[in-house]
Amino acid sequence: MLDILKPHEPKLVPFTEQLTEPEEIRGVTAKLVDIEENVRRIRVTVEGEDIDMETLEEHIMDLSGSIHSIDEVSCGETIVDDPWLPN
Amino acid sequence: MNPRERLAGLRRVLGKEDVRSLARRYFVANGFDGTLTSIGVVLGAYMGGSVDSGLAIIGIGLGAAIGLGTSGIWSVWEIERAETSRELLQLEAAMMTDLEDTQLTRDFRSEQIVLALAAATGPVIGILVTLFPFLLEGVFLSLFQAVLLSIAFGVLLLGAVGAYMGSISKQRWYVAAARMGLAGLVVAIITVFLPG
Repeated sequence: MLDILKPHEPKLVPFTEQLTEPEEIRGVTAKLVDIEENVRRIRVTVEGEDIDMETLEEHIMDLSGSIHSIDEVSCGETIVDDPWLPN
Repeated sequence: MNPRERLAGLRRVLGKEDVRSLARRYFVANGFDGTLTSIGVVLGAYMGGSVDSGLAIIGIGLGAAIGLGTSGIWSVWEIERAETSRELLQLEAAMMTDLEDTQLTRDFRSEQIVLALAAATGPVIGILVTLFPFLLEGVFLSLFQAVLLSIAFGVLLLGAVGAYMGSISKQRWYVAAARMGLAGLVVAIITVFLPG
């Protein structure tokens, strides 16, 4: 799960669509968190196998976004649920 | 950037309503300038009595087309370059990152190209349409007839653009067409009554 800052353009739909372009990415969900005068903050959840963070970061930068923080990561054979998540 | 990416970028830019709207404005505003200039030049050259062939008027008109086309492409390129640079600086400050060679800057460049071309093609089309009758001078038309037909083409072109603008703004298209076409007639009348 990534916290990303991006300009208003490209809009959320084409931005998210283009995030799925690398082969190793199976799906992406993006959610608008905040709108400022020139930029938008979005939360992006990326799912896929063998995701290379460096390549993903370069891809996001090419789309004019910048990763503020990596807020959640799941690795391994199975995805372990977060036990601290409120029910 | 390969040609496929360039084409995709161009398609992305042309899909933006604000770019299409700005391109339309540049095209129509400069096309209006070009058509009216051409009507004035054609009539002025004929009334002055210094030209006696259609080809001579075409030569004068093409000079105007080169001037206005270059003016359109150059001025809009520089205007858009300054505007997008300012916007980019604001974005980079807000994002605290360098946006050089990103999709955003590539799209800015594509926008510049589209808008500059729209600004240049407007006057060139306007002038070429009004010059067309002079190609028929000496074959089907006399010089006087070619001048009248040239003015009529100019007025019709302005009217067609007016009708289009009227239809996209949901106004009565024929009123918008008449308003635009009238400008061509006004230029023609002023040129006829100019002293000398």
